[in-house]
Amino acid sequence: MSKETIKAKAKLVIVDDVDTDQIFHQSLLTIHDPIEIKPHIFGNLEGYKSFGNEDNVGKILLVGKNFGKGSTRQQAVTGFLAHEIKAIIGESFGPIYYSNAVNSGLLLVEAPGISEFKVKDDDNLEIDITQSVIINQNNGESIKYAKIPQPVWDIIKAGGLLKLGEIM
Amino acid sequence: MTSFTLIEKIIRNRTDVSDSEIYPNNIVWVNLDLVTARDYAGPQVIDLFQKNYTGSRTFNNEKIIFTPDCYPYGNDPKHAKDQEKIRVFAKEHGIKVTDLGSGIGSHLLFRRGFSKPGDVVIGADSHYNILGALGILGQGAGDVMLAFAFKTGKSWTKIPETVKVILKGDYEWPTTAKDLALYVLKELHEYGITGKAVEFYGEIIDKLSIEERVTLCSLITEASGVIGFVPADKITADYYSESGIEIEMLSADEDARYVSELVLDIQDLGQYIACPPHPHNVKKIEEVIGTPINSIVIGSCTNGSAADIHDAAKILKGHKINPNVRFGIVPATREDFVSINLNGDMTIILEAGGNFFGAGCSTCANGQYGLTGGKTAVTLTTGNRNTQGKIGPADVYLASPVVAAVTAIKGKIALPKEVIKE
Repeated sequence: MSKETIKAKAKLVIVDDVDTDQIFHQSLLTIHDPIEIKPHIFGNLEGYKSFGNEDNVGKILLVGKNFGKGSTRQQAVTGFLAHEIKAIIGESFGPIYYSNAVNSGLLLVEAPGISEFKVKDDDNLEIDITQSVIINQNNGESIKYAKIPQPVWDIIKAGGLLKLGEIM
Repeated sequence: MTSFTLIEKIIRNRTDVSDSEIYPNNIVWVNLDLVTARDYAGPQVIDLFQKNYTGSRTFNNEKIIFTPDCYPYGNDPKHAKDQEKIRVFAKEHGIKVTDLGSGIGSHLLFRRGFSKPGDVVIGADSHYNILGALGILGQGAGDVMLAFAFKTGKSWTKIPETVKVILKGDYEWPTTAKDLALYVLKELHEYGITGKAVEFYGEIIDKLSIEERVTLCSLITEASGVIGFVPADKITADYYSESGIEIEMLSADEDARYVSELVLDIQDLGQYIACPPHPHNVKKIEEVIGTPINSIVIGSCTNGSAADIHDAAKILKGHKINPNVRFGIVPATREDFVSINLNGDMTIILEAGGNFFGAGCSTCANGQYGLTGGKTAVTLTTGNRNTQGKIGPADVYLASPVVAAVTAIKGKIALPKEVIKE
């Protein structure tokens, strides 16, 4: 198997128990267009309300424990895809959020200990999928994570569950 | 050799990966025995399928069933259109439809032998895990997963940890499986089974009919559990043999690894009731006795079978329903409807002042029979959801068909002995 890696700059949102209402507020439920969802991401999360209007394109997001808990809300996934976020690395994720994200083609990496990882905004991160390790290229620090399950990686590579269905 | 819990064993039999991949919290591809969709979410699944897989056939038209059961009357323009969309798509793809009046899809799956122990089944119903009562791995799934499954016959699943629950003791009628299910919900919610599977054991299990087992397993969703299993046994095998179907009695390995073991004492269990605003807010009936009730429904995938309706008929025989109470019965399936016709229960209930509605779902969503309407329609149902606002603004209580019938006579929450002694 050839080495598979994801390389991008880091963006830190190390907050525990961020629920889907803090990612995309329920008062905006009638919005479905990704471009319109984009500026509202984290619009209800203290300290990160300007996220939606910043340039976070192509970054890897680092989050805390139980990220995406609460109601099913597709916009809380779509918004990150609109920002072209390459992956979200977290201590853990809400189960509904996890499956919604993966099915939509947004890679979530569960890495217990990531809150303590030595990293700051815009450090260059590498996720080595083959070796299940995250490397901070700015300081050489690394952290192992449990292997990304095969179905999840199959889906991410295809660009989402429905896309994978085209070739299965 | 590695040992497996029941859910690990079922998944192991339906996946292409090696045994070393079968462990809690790993995610694996599963080959599905059956994929279903209903009038809730089914039309969205069809839209996704047609948009993403234009011109494609399904993976296997004989392994898909449409079970429109959510809006059993189809008398709302939106639901009528949705149901028509299902019929048109089904005809084009040669897919079976259990159409209006057939009943609740999850029940038809075992009643009509569409699914058997050891199978893995998904559908757009968060109570599909009631199939655990027959040793079937049934799971609710979203639109996207179902559209993908229509095309590929696969889904991905996280293998859950399993809690072994031993029910110790016995109880007697008028305590029923619903009281057991409510008590178990209360205990398991407190214990914490979020994201976990449950296997039920204990001598009581040998005495529970399939219908009673379904009731027991139907409240696992309300404790945020994945599924509750009653491993297939002689009772299950006898049930299927009536339809000429032979089954394999799949069971967990003796030294399977459980995350924990819980013993629940159910000796001389009394009657229980779920009080507003959550299903897990379970209390002994004695704590809410005398609460006025003016709408009562017997139905749902939890307690809509002929056996459940028979429990109510036994109480109602020779009595009149309180004039302040509207009493509706929604049989789970057509088969249940036929049974209560043949055994006379339907006449008993009609003479007592009850009303019957077409077989299907009830008291679980807007558009079904049993909505409270305003705040004054305080309701008692035999269903599984009393979440505030779900079926209307008024308070909703959940109890057994026996308690429902007694309450219907009294016009207020009452104990069975108040009527039985009369």
